[in-house]
Amino acid sequence: MKAKHLSIIAKKEFRGLFNERTILLAVLLQLFIALFSSFLMVGLTSMYDPSSLSRYSHFRYNVAYAGNESDVLVYLRTSPDFRVYRMDLSTAVAALQQRKLAAVIYVPDTRPDAADPVKITLYTLENDLQSAIVDVKLKDVFLKYESTLRQVRAGRLDEQPLPLQVPASTGGDFYEFVYGLLIPLLVFMPAIISSALVIDLVTEEYQHETLETLISTPVTFTEMVWGKVLACELLVPIQAGAWLVLLMINGIAIQNPGLILLHVVVTSLILILLGTLVALHYRERTAAQFIFSTGLVIVILLSLALPSNPLNLLARLAVGSAGPEQWVVLGITTVVLLVLGYTTQKYAEKIAGSAHAG
Amino acid sequence: MGMLADIATIARWEVKKSFSLMGRNVLPVAVIFFVLLVLVTGFTAQTGLHLQDGMYTVGVDDPQVGALLASDARFSVYVMDAPSLSTHRDQFDVIVVQGRAAGSGTEKANSALNTLSRDYAKYVNSVYDSESDLFAAYPLWIDTQSVTSELTFLSTQSGQYVSAAPGRAPPVPTGVVQNVPTPSPTLSVTEDQLRQELVQSNTQNTQISRYTDVLSSGNPAMGTFKTPSQLSPPLPFDSIILVFVFIFPLYFTSQFFMMSIMNERIERKGEVLLSTPVRTASIILGKMLPYFLGMAAICAGLTLYLKASPLILLPLIPIIFFFLANALLIGMLSRSFKELSFISIFFSTVATSYLFFPSIFANVHIISLISPLTLIVLTLQGTAWTATDYLYSTSLFWLTSAILFYIAAKNFKEERLFSEKRLLTRAREFLSEILPREHPFLSLFLLAGFSIPFVFMVQMMCLVLFFNLPMPWSLVFLLLFAALIEEIAKGIGIYTLFVRNPAFFTWKNLVLACGATALGFLTGEKLLLFATLTQISDSVFGSILFLSLGSLWLPFLLHFGCVLIVACCLKYGGRKWFVAGLLIAMLVHCLYNLYFILGWLS
Repeated sequence: MKAKHLSIIAKKEFRGLFNERTILLAVLLQLFIALFSSFLMVGLTSMYDPSSLSRYSHFRYNVAYAGNESDVLVYLRTSPDFRVYRMDLSTAVAALQQRKLAAVIYVPDTRPDAADPVKITLYTLENDLQSAIVDVKLKDVFLKYESTLRQVRAGRLDEQPLPLQVPASTGGDFYEFVYGLLIPLLVFMPAIISSALVIDLVTEEYQHETLETLISTPVTFTEMVWGKVLACELLVPIQAGAWLVLLMINGIAIQNPGLILLHVVVTSLILILLGTLVALHYRERTAAQFIFSTGLVIVILLSLALPSNPLNLLARLAVGSAGPEQWVVLGITTVVLLVLGYTTQKYAEKIAGSAHAG
Repeated sequence: MGMLADIATIARWEVKKSFSLMGRNVLPVAVIFFVLLVLVTGFTAQTGLHLQDGMYTVGVDDPQVGALLASDARFSVYVMDAPSLSTHRDQFDVIVVQGRAAGSGTEKANSALNTLSRDYAKYVNSVYDSESDLFAAYPLWIDTQSVTSELTFLSTQSGQYVSAAPGRAPPVPTGVVQNVPTPSPTLSVTEDQLRQELVQSNTQNTQISRYTDVLSSGNPAMGTFKTPSQLSPPLPFDSIILVFVFIFPLYFTSQFFMMSIMNERIERKGEVLLSTPVRTASIILGKMLPYFLGMAAICAGLTLYLKASPLILLPLIPIIFFFLANALLIGMLSRSFKELSFISIFFSTVATSYLFFPSIFANVHIISLISPLTLIVLTLQGTAWTATDYLYSTSLFWLTSAILFYIAAKNFKEERLFSEKRLLTRAREFLSEILPREHPFLSLFLLAGFSIPFVFMVQMMCLVLFFNLPMPWSLVFLLLFAALIEEIAKGIGIYTLFVRNPAFFTWKNLVLACGATALGFLTGEKLLLFATLTQISDSVFGSILFLSLGSLWLPFLLHFGCVLIVACCLKYGGRKWFVAGLLIAMLVHCLYNLYFILGWLS
């Protein structure tokens, strides 16, 4: 096998990619996903975590309090988020309908130490972005009241839970989403794209009947296969690296970027070789892609079920809590890689041999 | 009758062909893989997803607390005595000493504390759930009542909060105050029912619900009664996962259709089909029919399996058509397998985003209805939706699929299928094909009119995207992008004609062409607006997207002027000036919007 021939094939495939501007689509795709994930972040945060919204503007919501005096009224008055009015229930609901209030709270005449629960009725606007926010702000007040009531009724409990005081943390709500899901998925996506690409490249030669022309040059069949694998593999660190850079520009600090790339390169080569083997076997895109993508789902699901799988390792590397076990994982993936590489070489040689014989 | 017979024949061919292709080699493997997939899914469901294992390191001094934390795989727990914990402080994200948790102050530690407090709350709930006196453990219940606002729901989005009441006096409602009955102080549900619901909602401790927990802890099954900790808008996460179960097979099947079209084009294999005396529409419909039936069957099967309401199928059908129409066009446009792969991945990402993201907000906001998936989520939740909702969320899908099918049918012929030109060139040729030479102005009018559903779709996507940015930015971005998209849609017809025959554009023809385009755009816009989108069009956002419904001559002048700018640029500088023309037109459009709609300059 000659390195020069490999690079000729790899260059040919790159030229093809650039000529068709498909690479442009890939870049667009990355940008689009980045845009949408930032939408997801900002959107979900502001929808469900109003404290992040209040960074933009601090606002006191007008709420009405109807019914009997209780601690809720005290908590509402001391809360910086609300301006409370004692109102008659009917008037308050009418004002709510005209958006002069954000919520109406009705508290019944139930004693804190009664056998029955205290049932508070909360009126908010239907289908309203703001009422979602008010709901979450009111939740704090209600939680406070709940713990007061629990203390009053504590004597009636059979078993007290283990005490543990957790300080109210600030932010960090989407940390797990970003590091434990987004980063492994985004960094791993180029591997999936590349392995689908290698199937296209190989089956194309068969289906467009360009294989014979290619083999009649000094390039051997095996070299052609490895050249295509090389071209696809080279794309992976570029794309994955681009993701890491994009994420870092977005202010998401990522530990161990080099190690992450190393793991991605090894794991992606496994997938690419799997794709190559499937493509060499079926020689037809529909069948090969179908079998490969089904197989891929199985492999990914299975590996996710195992502890310390490569995706988990990516997450742990990114947050900087990966221990020495990462080298064990790397060792295992490298062994799998070598076995697959050997198989691909033998299989390609066999096909080349049978083509010569026939 | 003849056409139906043709379609049936071609459909039969298609089935036979794909089975002979897939037959011997693929089917056995596919069956094995399917069995494997079921096994692996079961295995994974049992062991859980180990994606976030060991993210945080925690040191504790109490083995009991340690055991409590170790039940969550995200924590690597180390039990030591308090002095050694404080000496190794920097190795832990969180330490727990004498029942007090303390983080190290980093973002990671804060996240660990969040997780810790959620785990602890779950543990506390599990203790409370088994208390014999339930109302001592859960003494407070909130009954949430929704009130319909008399004002439009969008007034909050236009940046206008509930008006602050002047001074200390409570706000006074105008008009007649209707009497609201005093709520009864007792719960209408028995203690046992509540306990059951509580246990159920507290044990939903799957890997997925980790994300749900971040966003809510609500359980819609509980009705309007909630404990305070359940009080936040529920994220319909389970339903959304189910929605993916529906959408995923549709992608797969449309891939097969795409490939079948592509296969006809490789090495001119489809020439035989084209030489038969069958109309192209029959060929396309015939080739599509098996895939459509397959997709519908999969959806129906899933619905039966999930024992869901068959109403789910109604919003799925336009989605199926939309996928098939796009698959057809992608199969016809791409030159090579790689191009096919990339375009289809791109398309499916964009389509998924359009379908998926709005439906996350199914319970929060009416804007989520722009995705048909929201209807599915609602159906799965047991919430009713109306025919208007259906029309509102699916009309764009029906319209765009119909137009794409028309374009494909017009271009399904030799010189288009077997040409090897660039993607954009081919797309332009496809457009050029549906603009007949004999009626240039009429065709421009129609093209502009029919581009409206696509424009709305893309603009809707921008709305979804920018809606969540902080207020001034969302408006600025929307303003720019909405204008740009409209200008592209209007300019594209003129551009196509110009490339085909630059000599056609004398000054007189140029003005006429711009007039036809502007008129077509305006007509299409108003028609679709009246039909479906009145809900959104009432807001400030809507008025930027669709202009006001009031006067007609001003928007016409705007459309006309903008197209004229683009056309003049083309005539003056040739094709290279197209982009420049678009940008100038965009600016003019934005200024118009600023001046007339927002009144910022006046």
